[in-house]
Amino acid sequence: MRLKTREAPPAARAVDANDLQAEATAGFRERLVELRRACRQLIGIPDYESYLTHMAERHPGEPVLSRREFCARAIDRKYGKGGPRCC
Amino acid sequence: MNKLISIVFWPLVAIVGAFAFAALALGRGETVSAVWLVTAALSVYFIAYRFYSKYIAERVLQLDDSRTTPAVRHNDGMDYVPTNKWVLYGHHFAAIAGAGPLVGPVLAAQMGYLPGTLWILAGVVLAGAVQDFIVLFASMRRDGKSLGEMIKIELGPVPGSLALVGVLAIMIIILAVLSLVVVKALTSSPWGLFTIAATIPIALLMGIYMRLIRPGRVGEASAIGVVLLLASLYFGRAVAADPSWGPLFTLTGTQLAWALILYGAIAASLPVWLMLAPRDYLSTFLKIGTVVALAVGIYVVAPPLVMPQTTRFIDGSGPVFSGSLFPFLFITIACGSVSGFHSLISSGTTPKMIERESHARFIGFGGMLAESFVAIMALTAACVLDPGIYFAMNAPAAAIGTTAANAAQVISNWGFTITPDMIEQTAKDIGETTILSRAGGAPTLAVGMAQILAQAIGGKTMEAFWYHFAILFEALFILTAVDAGTRVGRFMIQDMLGHVYKPLGNTEFLPANVVGTVLCVGLWGYFLYQGVVDPLGGINTLWQLFGVGNQMLAGIALLLCTSVLVKMKRERYVWVTLVPTAWLLVTTLTAGIEKIFHSNPSIGFLALANKFSAAAAEGKVLAPAKSIAEMQRVAFNNYLDAGVCAVFVVLVLAMCLYAAKISLQALRQAEPTAHEIPPMAQPA
Repeated sequence: MRLKTREAPPAARAVDANDLQAEATAGFRERLVELRRACRQLIGIPDYESYLTHMAERHPGEPVLSRREFCARAIDRKYGKGGPRCC
Repeated sequence: MNKLISIVFWPLVAIVGAFAFAALALGRGETVSAVWLVTAALSVYFIAYRFYSKYIAERVLQLDDSRTTPAVRHNDGMDYVPTNKWVLYGHHFAAIAGAGPLVGPVLAAQMGYLPGTLWILAGVVLAGAVQDFIVLFASMRRDGKSLGEMIKIELGPVPGSLALVGVLAIMIIILAVLSLVVVKALTSSPWGLFTIAATIPIALLMGIYMRLIRPGRVGEASAIGVVLLLASLYFGRAVAADPSWGPLFTLTGTQLAWALILYGAIAASLPVWLMLAPRDYLSTFLKIGTVVALAVGIYVVAPPLVMPQTTRFIDGSGPVFSGSLFPFLFITIACGSVSGFHSLISSGTTPKMIERESHARFIGFGGMLAESFVAIMALTAACVLDPGIYFAMNAPAAAIGTTAANAAQVISNWGFTITPDMIEQTAKDIGETTILSRAGGAPTLAVGMAQILAQAIGGKTMEAFWYHFAILFEALFILTAVDAGTRVGRFMIQDMLGHVYKPLGNTEFLPANVVGTVLCVGLWGYFLYQGVVDPLGGINTLWQLFGVGNQMLAGIALLLCTSVLVKMKRERYVWVTLVPTAWLLVTTLTAGIEKIFHSNPSIGFLALANKFSAAAAEGKVLAPAKSIAEMQRVAFNNYLDAGVCAVFVVLVLAMCLYAAKISLQALRQAEPTAHEIPPMAQPA
């Protein structure tokens, strides 16, 4: 939110406010991404971005799966043998 | 600061709990609010978690965060992923909580709310949560191995194979009984059947969307799915009332049984992404949402518990299931107190995703407490119903007849006053033609839920929607279980057939897959069909058979846990698993043997079979059978049930001997002999 004052606010203060706003938006967006990730993991879908990070850290240079392949394989692996479902 | 909160908070929980129990105990002769029941349960859970699970985690198991978990050691970004403990808690809960905690407590409500409540609470703290926690722990220390593999490693190959046979048998029975719950709920219920049938095209659409149209967009697909689901629920009423569509969705029990058998065979043969996965997503979200809504609903509405604390049916003469409180209460309520099936889930995907060892306490022990809470709410929903309505819905037609007038008269004679008008009005309120003999838990729970939720949102006019919503919510995950369970059963059967004739064990070989699927569906389909047509069979018989099997599996899992503790040289603490093991063995062996040999034909399988086959030999037809052929079928089915029960009893006795032998050997050793992954194992 930007303060509407009659006098032009000092430049430094305006920048701060913008930064804060940008930070808040970024924080909110990050929360949303986290929430989405949590919802997916809840139903047993591993996170593609984490997989990319993992591959980059642990196996740099090796070929990675595309998002489509990754999701397909995750589903096949999770349900391939049915997986016992509880009573 | 934390200490201060602890000093203030825990006594407060204890006081609230004690007060709630006092309200329940002292409310003799007058109705008590369901809020007290739920509050008492929550207090027990909090205290058990804070103190008992901490004791197990720190003293008994000595969880150690310096040891790497399988998720960290084998992290591949896919199967083995260290996961946030709250997220994994939700995932684990969704995997363990199915229809079980909804059915058992509802059936047990015929004895009043107190016996069920006490067993759910004592059972979960001392047995169920302990089993889930320790199996999860054991699997986590063994690279996420399954229950069968762990039994093989720790107890030997023969017990390992025996356990697999037991698991397959239980799986067959559970698939049959869950399908039977669906049949009972949907017979002559066009609105219900339409919404359930609509989940098939909805799931297919979601599957195609996520695979082909917008790959991996689960959120979008799920949102579309939920909207379509609610639309089908809304339009279901019009479809049911339509003169040409309504009859199309009005099926008899046998028609539904065949439909489910066909569905099972086809669904289990489709690619998993097409129907199984998308429907599982829908069912998970719906499950968590509904459980939360019900909990909030109970607190907002605070309905009174109309069912008495105990009814006269604790003597074993109950119409819903026969047999006295001991041992039959303890096998009727399995999930919610202690469920052997959980040992399969706790040694499935969860141990491969745990970030730190200490999280196992929250996820294993805490996850089971949440399932137990679901069971308490199911019991509550059944006990806020008028007992007359409860018995009208759960007693078999053989006892109460098929008309509201007859049912009202019989039930009033039992001491639960009800008029035919009340029965008919209840059916009308929920948008159905009849509520009589809809055994199986799901419909009863749905009526209870509808009454609670309608008081919170929407009033009387919304009751029919809430009822069908509740049926949808239950049928959705039962159908997922039928699909997934048939696949598991098929793999197990193929694995066994592979030992006899190698090509049959090849899971990539289509004819072998077909043989496996047909055998699996045929087995559970047989029990389902008999449950529908056998006038004396049904839920009454199958649920108890399942209860015996499930508790036997829990006994086997706890025997494994006991042996593991001894092999870790932690024998000082062995009572933690030995006490629940002993209790489970005593109750289930008693129940198993009574089910086979009891002289009362309404309890003992053999007594009933002998009675009917003897009468058939003389050419006499006994009610409710209508012909000699039907008489012979009743006799055959009861011999078969006795056989299945005997298999469970023999299995668990054999397992007992093996576990005792191994434990005694380990006691004599000076060093630990458990096959754990060494603490310093590094990433592979």
